Amino acid sequence: MNSEEVKIGVYICHCGGNISDKVDVEKVAEDAGNLPDVTVSRTYTFMCADPGQELIVEDIEKHGLNRIVVASCSPSLHETTFRSAVVRGGLNQFLYEHVNIREQVSWVHASTGEATAKATTLVRAAIARVRHHEPLSLIRVGATSRALVLGGGVAGLRAALDLAVYGLPVTIVEKSSRLGGQVAEFGTVFPTGESGAELVRTLVRDVSALEEITVLTGARVTGATGYVGNFTVMVEQERGDGSTEDLEIPAGAVIVATGSRPYEPDMGEFGFGQFPEVVTLPDFIQILNETRADGDLTVNGKMIRRAAFIHCVGSRQIEGIQKPKPGRPLNENCSRICCTATLKAESDLIEKFPGVFVYDLYRDIRTYGRNHEEIYERASRDGVSFLCYEPATPPVVTMAAPDDTGNLLITVKDNLTAGMEIEVAVDLVVLAVGMEPADVGPLAESLKLPAGADGFLQEVHPKLRPVEMAVAGVVLAGTCQSPRDIEESCASASAAAVKVAGLLTRGHVDLEPYVARVNADRCEGTGICLSQCEYDGALKIVESVIDGRAIRKAVVNEALCTGCGACVAVCPTRAIDINGWTLDQFEAMVDAMCADPVEVASD
Amino acid sequence: MGTDRILILASAACAYPGADAVGQAHLSYPANTFVLRVPSPVVFPESFYYDSFEKGIGGIIVMSCGVECPYEGAYEKLAARIDRVSLGLKEQGINPRRLKLTSICTVCTKSFLKEVADMNSILAYEGAET
Ligand SMILES: Cc1cc2nc3c(=O)[nH]c(=O)nc-3n(C[C@H](O)[C@H](O)[C@H](O)COP(=O)(O)OP(=O)(O)OC[C@H]3O[C@@H](n4cnc5c(N)ncnc54)[C@H](O)[C@@H]3O)c2cc1C
Ligand code: SF4
Ligand code: SF4
Repeated sequence: MNSEEVKIGVYICHCGGNISDKVDVEKVAEDAGNLPDVTVSRTYTFMCADPGQELIVEDIEKHGLNRIVVASCSPSLHETTFRSAVVRGGLNQFLYEHVNIREQVSWVHASTGEATAKATTLVRAAIARVRHHEPLSLIRVGATSRALVLGGGVAGLRAALDLAVYGLPVTIVEKSSRLGGQVAEFGTVFPTGESGAELVRTLVRDVSALEEITVLTGARVTGATGYVGNFTVMVEQERGDGSTEDLEIPAGAVIVATGSRPYEPDMGEFGFGQFPEVVTLPDFIQILNETRADGDLTVNGKMIRRAAFIHCVGSRQIEGIQKPKPGRPLNENCSRICCTATLKAESDLIEKFPGVFVYDLYRDIRTYGRNHEEIYERASRDGVSFLCYEPATPPVVTMAAPDDTGNLLITVKDNLTAGMEIEVAVDLVVLAVGMEPADVGPLAESLKLPAGADGFLQEVHPKLRPVEMAVAGVVLAGTCQSPRDIEESCASASAAAVKVAGLLTRGHVDLEPYVARVNADRCEGTGICLSQCEYDGALKIVESVIDGRAIRKAVVNEALCTGCGACVAVCPTRAIDINGWTLDQFEAMVDAMCADPVEVASD
Repeated sequence: MGTDRILILASAACAYPGADAVGQAHLSYPANTFVLRVPSPVVFPESFYYDSFEKGIGGIIVMSCGVECPYEGAYEKLAARIDRVSLGLKEQGINPRRLKLTSICTVCTKSFLKEVADMNSILAYEGAET
């Protein structure tokens, strides 16, 4: 610790009432204010708002503070926010300590008295730790000026094009033999009515025209190593002769755009797999596109006169009603695009084959997007007959009697006719299947990419950092993150491209300084630490001759050390620590946690 | 309070976000729990555990990333150390169940609550004994 006088500023956030409804924030601030070296201790409604941050900046200037503690929400949300305020006040960003009294106190403890006592203790512990903080510098390392885009659907193509415009070289790795993803297979797409295939052709033409972009089709990732600025992605590409070629692609950042796939219904789910007349929506769209308007619409050789579309298949699943597939959670979410896609397909069907009668069996109609409502209106105008079912009583698809007007019989309790049981005979059933995430494969395992409970890849925060992953240097584009339409997929792809451009156009990245450091005065050169380190070259013993004596000391290579701390635990003289996470700090915190208990006021 | 305080050593990559997820779900657990965020609990020497009990901590739950640990070999080293400390505690006449190594993932809210509840029942049993 440096010798200057320690002056600590402590800030307790109300978070509207999120914290202050459970924690007596004034009491916590008062307790902190009575501790030695605490110069300022206050509360504020929203510390992350500009006036909250300004409090910190002004207090540093006015009171000469040199350590800052903020007790608020999780550090994953606002640690960087407050560090930047500390910097604006003229201090090193690492002279800051964050206390989580929302996710780990006010939201989880029932008693106000206990929550207040715990928050007080945690703030005391943070004050004990912050004294030991030292100014640290970010570790600057060179960054590879290339981005890798995994997946060449509309999202991957859009991201690659944007990156190339920023002047960054890009490699697209696409597992199938062609670019374009699912959109290439649609006829016209909502809400614009333009051709999906044409849209993809335009994107692919632009991509081919740019020398910054390298496209690898028939290529799969087999593994990846490295960190932000310096990833290496191993790729296996199929060659024309059936053999494969192994490539190693250096990349400063990775955009994951692996997209989604349609939910595959279970055997027998609404008759799927059981009756050939039951098909999924993507299959139906293809059939409709491939059939000429001047003939009849036939599916599996049978002429279609009546068709029924069933919504929410594989989406909005409810425990106890639907069964999850082996190894997968129930998909509780709405897949968002299927309502509009279904209604559009119904109109396309009727307009191409005016003789066909269409039923639409829905739970709710969610035409949420801009200009999607028109598609609902169009389907209504086109004469689609709507039936509304409850999730607990889904339609039942069975074989119709031989003399019926169709091959299949659908029985449904219809909300629109006061729960009346209705039977309709049809020739075709189309299941509006939801979206499942595609398999991201070994990249996800190698780089430990987090996925949400629904299996889609997870951003750091849906509002604050919507396209970045917790793994620095990896960003998300399109439907690998959640169900969305083309417009939304492209918007997120463009956002991802800007994030990557911002990261890589500087030519270097700044890494957190949390690596091992050796106190040479204490180090006796035993080398026990080396035996624990798993990273080649991160630690070495350097011999030098001082006053005729050979002296051995451990030395850290900051670019190779990952800061795991395995070495710290074994040093017999406590000569090694992790910058910013020293054993002294942890011990000071435990001391504070064990000190006289904070009095618990009864609720 | 006194010896009923539970120290939770939570890995920054998995267990700490896991504890946050418990909060985001507004689930509830006792307030005698104090979470220390660490890059990896492998950083703590054996003495840290003995000292913490000595200082008055009732139970320690080491919440690591387990096999998901972002650091090469760290989990194995941690597990071996916890085994040694458990033996040491036993020799000192301290119930080794007051130290628990577990893996908590970023969405493991149920496991988090279970570990806290389990440790509290161990401490309650201890409290009744003495
Ligand atoms: C039936 C249906 C109809 C739709 N109709 C419309 C519409 O009319 N209008 C509209 O706006 N939206 C529509 N959508 C939504 C639209 O399909 C998506 O928004 C769009 O496909 C998202 O693009 P993407 O690039 O994210 O994913 P995808 O189109 O799924 O592309 C992903 C690409 O990544 C590749 N890939 C996957 N995994 C890997 C891997 N591990 N390694 C390498 N490559 C990989 C795939 O081969 C594919 O090329 C519809 C969706 C469905 C299901
Ligand atoms: S978009 Fe419509 S059909 Fe698809 S899951 Fe949501 S409500 Fe169901
Ligand atoms: S902290 Fe980990 S990576 Fe760094 S020197 Fe120590 S053991 Fe090696």
